[in-house]
Amino acid sequence: MSLYEIRDMAIQIDGKRLVEGVNISVEAGKCTAIIGASGSGKSLSCLTPFGLTPGEALGSIKLDGIELIGADAHQMHKARSRLTGFVFQQPLTALTPHLTIGAQLQEAAAQAGPSRLSRHELVQKLERVGLSRADERLDQFPHRLSGGERQRVMIAAAIAHRPKLLIADEPTSALDASLRGEIMALLDELRAEQGLAMLLVSHDLASVEGHSDDLIVMDQGRVVESGSTADIIANPQEDYTKRLMAATPRLTEPAPDLPAVGNMLMETEAVTVIFPRPGWRRGKIEAVVDASLTLSEGEAVAIVGGSGSGKSTLGRAIAGIGPLTSGTINWQGEVLPERRARSLAMRRLIQPVFQDPVASLDPQWRVSDIVAEPLKNLRPDLLRADRDGMVEKALDDVGLGAEYLERVPTSLSGGQAQRVAIARAIIAGPQLLVLDEATSALDPLVGSSILQLLAQLQRANGLTIIFITHDIASARRLCHRIVVLDEGRIVEMGDMAAVIEHPNADTTKRLIAAS
Amino acid sequence: MTAIPTLLAIILASFFLMRLAPGGPFDGERPLPPETQAALQTAYGLDKPLWEQAWLYVSRLVQGDFGPSLVYRDFTVSELVAQGLPISLTLGGLAITLALLIGISAGLFAAVRAGKAADKTIMMLATVATALPTFVTGPALALLLGLWLGLLPVSGRGEGWSWLIMPVVALALPVSGAIAKLTRAGLATVLKQDHIRTARARGLSETKILFKHGLRPALVPVASYLGPAAAGLLTGAVVVETVFGLPGLGRYFVQGALNRDYPLVLGVVTLYAALIILFNLFADLIYGWLDPRMREG
Repeated sequence: MSLYEIRDMAIQIDGKRLVEGVNISVEAGKCTAIIGASGSGKSLSCLTPFGLTPGEALGSIKLDGIELIGADAHQMHKARSRLTGFVFQQPLTALTPHLTIGAQLQEAAAQAGPSRLSRHELVQKLERVGLSRADERLDQFPHRLSGGERQRVMIAAAIAHRPKLLIADEPTSALDASLRGEIMALLDELRAEQGLAMLLVSHDLASVEGHSDDLIVMDQGRVVESGSTADIIANPQEDYTKRLMAATPRLTEPAPDLPAVGNMLMETEAVTVIFPRPGWRRGKIEAVVDASLTLSEGEAVAIVGGSGSGKSTLGRAIAGIGPLTSGTINWQGEVLPERRARSLAMRRLIQPVFQDPVASLDPQWRVSDIVAEPLKNLRPDLLRADRDGMVEKALDDVGLGAEYLERVPTSLSGGQAQRVAIARAIIAGPQLLVLDEATSALDPLVGSSILQLLAQLQRANGLTIIFITHDIASARRLCHRIVVLDEGRIVEMGDMAAVIEHPNADTTKRLIAAS
Repeated sequence: MTAIPTLLAIILASFFLMRLAPGGPFDGERPLPPETQAALQTAYGLDKPLWEQAWLYVSRLVQGDFGPSLVYRDFTVSELVAQGLPISLTLGGLAITLALLIGISAGLFAAVRAGKAADKTIMMLATVATALPTFVTGPALALLLGLWLGLLPVSGRGEGWSWLIMPVVALALPVSGAIAKLTRAGLATVLKQDHIRTARARGLSETKILFKHGLRPALVPVASYLGPAAAGLLTGAVVVETVFGLPGLGRYFVQGALNRDYPLVLGVVTLYAALIILFNLFADLIYGWLDPRMREG
């Protein structure tokens, strides 16, 4: 019998059934993964049995012989704290901000029993998860650590009491591509070493492949397909699984057919952005140093790097929405001035689209006003009727009908909101779109439909694109060339296919391996 | 570092504003003969140009000299303040402690029972407490507990500590209402956050989750309210001290203002301003303890 066995589970919240007919089993030392889009009920299925969501679970859930449905408080407590460890998605917020790393680790270890660990033991636990300077970390507060370091602390805390089952709810989704691989490798290692049973939740096929033994595909609260991971990936049976797999960008898929490239459009020379270091400590942060790149008409260039590599800062400097310390940006031979000095016509040329579509739209505004706003500012000469016509046209271009005009952003899904953001960006007729992780926060299916939309716009409007991302496989679907950034410096630049074939810089190799 | 310029600005503004008010310290019911008036003006330096007087005042203040009282002529302002300050500080200090105790526990209780009858009742009472001014609650308390039930002294300082109860309660009530609301709102936000789920996943008891993981970040809004609350308590003390006939700073403040006793009013204003600034600095320190992320600008 498996260590953790869920039979015919249903989950309801306020009488509404959100999940039905779910069977999951996880064996000691093995990993079962659940994948699905957001809203598929995958996280709900993992967390509800332990009382960590507002939902109520029905059916049968057995952990190490204990039936969790209808379990009394004592048994539930044992199941939750002794037998199980949890790693959550957001390492930034999942740790308590006012308690030191040491205190939280101590608290986690105390689930096994009341004996306190010595400082030496705590240090060992942090070192086991690959944290450097572990002794110093014990006295630090979580905000001093980077996202990857915090996730390592979360993992150390999750296994500090030697649980039998580890539940990892999107453990790598909030991390950049190169860190994802490292964290997944760490989880694999710990699982083998401690004979842990692991239940892994993800929306991303790439982080499941090669790390899980069994796979469950969920959609809209139901299991679509389940079986051995290798079998499903090699030979998916259900239509949804096939679409999901096709939507996930891979480096092995055939190279896309990209539109032809015209004359030189833009050229940056030694763009440098320096920020003062926050707080009392003196000093400066060199976010971008000497970035020189070129861009031709109709060309799509990917700016790729890990988090903190300066890729967004460079994009913002080019788009004229962020600071520029030194260097010049030439636009068809003319120098583009600093952002405040740009004329309306210059601003119209370059438009940005951001990562979090819902957060980048004003929640108080209607879609029609959001999309019309650039016109009001950049084309004050237009009449209201012309403007309304252009708004409808722009929405139509991004695949949204007139029924969206009166909607507000909070009523839109992530994909719809990103389409509205793109409509806003293209309405004033820009030549260059700067897309900052525009598909990273979206599910694979939605993300790939946005990539398709961008490819269409690239052809139909002759748009030039700067595509900022940490994911080379997504960039490959759209971009002619690639620029790799590390610690603010361009470490590699060239034709997309050539760079993927023969990467030179270590950063590039790491990012390719992670894709 | 902005404390000293702020204090100076407050002193100068009060100095000039007060001189804009008509009348002077030597206008009694029976007017003094003009030559006596002039002699008094010269003696206290009131005949000098206004800016020079301001300069003299500030330069003496720096040396710790608050000047003489113009109305209580046998006393310096420092002596009057030394009499009143202990009473006002006791009142204010006890009131803020009581307000924090009542407010935080009421807010905690309401947050735990969110949406239930207890929550709604507490929040309604908090609104009432915040809305009722001390000049209503003070006399009402005196009437009920002092006159009708005869439990507590109505006015002045009696034996022991019982005379403090009513003034402190009257002062603390509005502040405790506001603190209860802030605590409740803060907890409602924090208890939804991810780190609470992490703590729950560790199998901690709900009480431990609340006190160890939830309460401290939830109190950040309360800490930012402490500065204005201290100001409210000090100005509220003026009313309470008058209602309960206590010789605190508030009474000197009001009488000083009515009598145009310039140095006395300025002295009290300076002291109040310094205390409020001090409280704001203190609140900043509390921030850092409540949420370590705030220690870095």
